[in-house]
Amino acid sequence: MASSNKTSKAGGGLGDRMKNMTDTNLLLTITIVVFFAMYIGAIVFQGKGFLKPQTFFNILNAQAALIITACGMSLVMITGSIDISVGGVVALVSMCSAVYLDFHNGNIFMAVVISLLIGLAFGAVQGFLVAYLDIQPFIVSLAGMFFARGMTTIVNTNPFNVKNEAFVALKETRVIVPGFGSVNKIGKYVDAYVEIGVIVAILVVILLFCVLRWTKLGRGFYAVGGNSQSALMLGINVKRTKFLAHLICGLLAGIGGFVYFMHVGSGSASHASGMEMNAIASSIIGGTMLTGGVGNIIGTFFGVLSLSTIQNIVSSAGLDKAWWTGITIAAMLCLFLVIQSVVMARKKKA
Amino acid sequence: MYLKKALATAIIFILCALQTGCGSRFTDKGEPGNAEEETAGNHIIVGFSQLGAESDWRSENTNSMKSSFTEENGYILIFEDGQQKQANQIRAIRMFIQQEVDYIVLAPVMETGWDTVLQEAKDAGIPVIIVDRKVDVSDDSLFTCWVGSDFELEGKKAAEWLNQYAQAKGIAPADIHIVNIQGTKGSSAQIGRTKGLADAARANGWDLMAEVIGDFTQAKGKEVMESLLKQYDNINVVYCENDNEAFGAIEAIEAAGRKVGSDITDGEIMVISFDGVNEEAIRYILEGKITCIAECNPLHGPRVQAIIELLEEGGTPEKRQYVDEEIYSANGTVNSLTIDGIDYAVTILAQEDGN
Amino acid sequence: MKSKETNKSNVSEFFSKIVRRQVFIPIAALLLLAIFNLVTDPSFYKITFGYNSAGNPVLSGNLMTILDSGSELAILAIGMTLVTAATGGQDISVGAAIAISGSVILRVLCGTDSRPETLQAPIIVAFLVACVVAMLFGAFNGVLVAYFKIQPMVATLILFTAGRSIAAWINNNELPIINEPSFGYFGGFIPGIPIPTPFFIAVICMVIIALVLRFTNLGLYTQAVGINESSSRLNGLNPAFIKFLTFVILGLCVAVAGLIKVSRFSTINYSVIAKDIEMDAILAVALGGNALSGGKFSMSASILGAYVIQFLMTTLYKFNVKSDALPAYKAVVVIVLVVLSAPIVREWLSSMWKKIKPEGQGKEVA
Repeated sequence: MASSNKTSKAGGGLGDRMKNMTDTNLLLTITIVVFFAMYIGAIVFQGKGFLKPQTFFNILNAQAALIITACGMSLVMITGSIDISVGGVVALVSMCSAVYLDFHNGNIFMAVVISLLIGLAFGAVQGFLVAYLDIQPFIVSLAGMFFARGMTTIVNTNPFNVKNEAFVALKETRVIVPGFGSVNKIGKYVDAYVEIGVIVAILVVILLFCVLRWTKLGRGFYAVGGNSQSALMLGINVKRTKFLAHLICGLLAGIGGFVYFMHVGSGSASHASGMEMNAIASSIIGGTMLTGGVGNIIGTFFGVLSLSTIQNIVSSAGLDKAWWTGITIAAMLCLFLVIQSVVMARKKKA
Repeated sequence: MYLKKALATAIIFILCALQTGCGSRFTDKGEPGNAEEETAGNHIIVGFSQLGAESDWRSENTNSMKSSFTEENGYILIFEDGQQKQANQIRAIRMFIQQEVDYIVLAPVMETGWDTVLQEAKDAGIPVIIVDRKVDVSDDSLFTCWVGSDFELEGKKAAEWLNQYAQAKGIAPADIHIVNIQGTKGSSAQIGRTKGLADAARANGWDLMAEVIGDFTQAKGKEVMESLLKQYDNINVVYCENDNEAFGAIEAIEAAGRKVGSDITDGEIMVISFDGVNEEAIRYILEGKITCIAECNPLHGPRVQAIIELLEEGGTPEKRQYVDEEIYSANGTVNSLTIDGIDYAVTILAQEDGN
Repeated sequence: MKSKETNKSNVSEFFSKIVRRQVFIPIAALLLLAIFNLVTDPSFYKITFGYNSAGNPVLSGNLMTILDSGSELAILAIGMTLVTAATGGQDISVGAAIAISGSVILRVLCGTDSRPETLQAPIIVAFLVACVVAMLFGAFNGVLVAYFKIQPMVATLILFTAGRSIAAWINNNELPIINEPSFGYFGGFIPGIPIPTPFFIAVICMVIIALVLRFTNLGLYTQAVGINESSSRLNGLNPAFIKFLTFVILGLCVAVAGLIKVSRFSTINYSVIAKDIEMDAILAVALGGNALSGGKFSMSASILGAYVIQFLMTTLYKFNVKSDALPAYKAVVVIVLVVLSAPIVREWLSSMWKKIKPEGQGKEVA
């Protein structure tokens, strides 16, 4: 490390380049490299399914909601806070939308508005408690999670599928991805497609990425998470920034809830169970640190993809035992955390 | 700067990966699935999406499938546990389609919401066999056939048994105070068994005091029974929609200082249950802790295998196939039941030949 | 006149002293719940004496349910308090770890047959093996937190994800059932003693931890590490080792809770056993008024916090709240409690109190 430091003034050696990178970019690079190594590995060793582009798009279709909520989660984690209520909010939003559309025969526009309002309400209340009353975010959002889960069953206990025609039409809408189709078993060429939720998710990722990278507000989030004392001195309104982070996270949970609802098309109290932990895990794999100040939305996106690619690999590898999924994901989390920890420690020393 | 480079590399990678995918379809056309064919040999690939592993019945059902579709029998089984979530099962089916399996076997967690994905399977030319719970789809041609139990008949059998027992013992219908510990809400078993009891209670004038959800698990069954015992002090019949719930309920009853048994005029609480798949349940019957069990046969593997063999030969299986099921009791009061004009013999288990 | 005034100020001083004590929060919450139940339905406190099917004397009633069902939570709260104090983070893997240790106990007791006629090993051996396994997993978390410097919540997320899968793996995804009645004693009643055993186990754990805190420096050291890690290092402590130690102690608590859990049912359900108990255990620590960011702690307040949660749940059950809807009510109570105990709100309340108070005093003097 030290020698490369001396010799490579032109910016050659890997160590030197690593040192010049910000923490955020370093962790992001690791994530992206690992994801591609994994996906290519899957293609090489398991072929068949993974070679088809639709397998990749199916991952996107199934995980669009998780991508959106994980983005919100990364945002609050960047400000050094946490929100474990997102899974509950997603369940509550899909149940409320389902009840509104099916029992009251409502229209889709109002359902979207309801979803966003629920998300915003959770974000606002939790943000207020965390930012202005200075209560620990874990406890606040834990209560938020309990409340959302409980309310979901109070709204309706039984799982049911929505039969509202306009909604079913929306749910079935497929955006064809040209040029990525494949031939199926009976020799028919099938176009590759993504669902509308994926478009929403990608828009969210791009928008949030731009905000975090190029706006004053975005830099404020990093500053608050990195060191709120110095952020205060820089003239950033720390409380308002934290509040905003929670508000946006709530809003994204609302959007994510509706996207989830569009994907599954049903209301159920057990929807999105464990989603908050998946969102946190994706953020971590994507290089966001729970201590705040470090993180990247693109990383989170790849974090979600890595997580579900593993699930697909495990099941298509014929490891039929259900437990392998949990164990491999945990092993990967462990690997990422240790890499992050070691890399950061070495960087500090250098 | 570095970030941009990383992103650019990423995009190139992804395009490469996907384009190889596209490119390979042309080579595939020339020698269809050559590599796959070799590894799989002449094996038939079956994708099985099980809904979860919540009860003994479910484990038996899974084991039955696994032991039928072995490599020795000429099959490769890809097993997916849906962990009680429809979204997981839909994802699994899409994966089976991408992997081009020969048959899909689905044990659905819910009845509705399968139209789209079953249509995809149909478009891909993969026959789908539904087991256990039913699916509610607009077009019946979306699946090849269904194999499972007649849950409502099971419920009717259990209720009819209780009715005849009460008549034989001279117990007035109004003195029968029943609580129903239901299965997972919305499952076919729950709907059918609940209906069987509710209809009988209305027809006979029983006091059906409560219907609460026990999720087919022992823990939930115990929890629910504990609170029921606190709410009502005159319960004398507990109708559990599976054995695991019954085990939990019995624990709760005994912990509260009550006794389980068939002598309901004498303060005992009668437990009626379903499934009867393991020795534990049979032991409980012999000990008199569970008075009556309506069997629910989990051994679907051989039957599904027969259907697949029939399909391979080009035959058309029957659309709905019910498995034969019995009703067990160690109490000899009722010997046979008549439901809708058909007679069903009660299998009386005795200590000697029980084991 | 004067004496009266000093008397009064003494009383108010006494009150403010109590209010400032940390234990005040859970005690106040407990009292509030107790009074609420007394007003709405005094029969809540009815305890009946009866005999269970095996002919053993048992006490039953809501209070017994609280003491019985709150035991696991109280035991976990002990370990969780130490982890919180030393690391400023929480262990979210305890539920999964309970599944593992429960699975280990059943595996040792059953051997290879999932439904044995007789136990394959003495219960104490099974329990000790479970202790070792749970402590190993605790040590795994501890190493990640203490030596790799990963935040506790993130580090324990690993075991949280894998735990239940590992538990299923240990028993080959079978659901073993133990028929031996003596195994049920730990989660039920010992013949002849009408009080539920889990309560005794919890009391034993409390006594042990009280003795440890009294006669060793564990409490002092964990607080020192939690308040300022670098200064505690300068004072000759080894912060990493102390953090590691707290996780191992939590592992031990998990093993005990796991024994009670599997003994209650004589079997295990990997995905359901001790579900969400980690959230309740953290809540117990927070309700005890302990800062979740580490540092000073009060063990008795945490344990009381655990019983507050159980008291609340039993009360809600009493009012026929469905078990699925329960979390919503719990959330409301939790939010009210944490808002009231937030320093900013307390300051604001006391300033409001002062504004009202001078008028009243002025009148009396006049």
